[in-house]
Amino acid sequence: MRRDVFQAIADPIRREILETVSTKNLSVNEVAKHFDISRQAVSKQLKILHECGLVSIHKQGRERYYSIDPKSLIPASLWINHLQKQWEERIDSLEKYVNQLKKERNVK
Amino acid sequence: MLNENEFLKRTVKIEKMLDAPIELVWDAWTIPEHIVKWWNPKGSDTHIEKHEFVVGGNWKYTMLMPDGSPFIAEGTYTEIIHHKLISSKADFKPMTQGVEIRSTFKSIGEKTEFTFYIIHPTEDYKLQQERMGIQNGWGSVFSRLDEFLTTIKL
Repeated sequence: MRRDVFQAIADPIRREILETVSTKNLSVNEVAKHFDISRQAVSKQLKILHECGLVSIHKQGRERYYSIDPKSLIPASLWINHLQKQWEERIDSLEKYVNQLKKERNVK
Repeated sequence: MLNENEFLKRTVKIEKMLDAPIELVWDAWTIPEHIVKWWNPKGSDTHIEKHEFVVGGNWKYTMLMPDGSPFIAEGTYTEIIHHKLISSKADFKPMTQGVEIRSTFKSIGEKTEFTFYIIHPTEDYKLQQERMGIQNGWGSVFSRLDEFLTTIKL
């Protein structure tokens, strides 16, 4: 399976887990408290998030703590901004170009 | 009007009155040498790999993100009515797939009323696409990114 930021955030549970570890470092058990699904299921999703590069693991003694790796979100952020605004921006861009083209054709 | 309602629920609609005659707007929208000039609002790195402007014809445009990975927009034209309407199946990879995009053109004097629709297969899919946006839980995730970005500003 492809492991990248887009795959990571395609799943709503993973998005919620990501949200949970975005403000502080948490262990699997601490993350699991926020969810109805089993600890194993949370652990599996965290593993995927880690493989996708979205969360980092910090070991402290025996415990592993998870936290978000903000820079891994750059492609998704670009895409999401894109998704939200791309067409409006693109059509504004078309408008600008059309106005420019009109001037050029009038000159000829 | 149930169908109309259902259609609107899964559709994103953008309208724009363009201050140019329809011939010019149509050319700008349909001819590759023009498309590359406006397709990417942030620059001119659009690469048109395929542009078969006939019903059943395929198109494929790619743009590079700053990190080097490509955005691919591609599709197949399903309806073309000269100076009136263009419909196409479209995928915007990696995140959006199986939508229909439709552009309509209406000449109003020397201006053109341009309307653009992104028609999702279901309302749920549209909502899911919107949820990918900044609502619902993305707040603190992306505020972490913002914090990170301010630390690396050049």
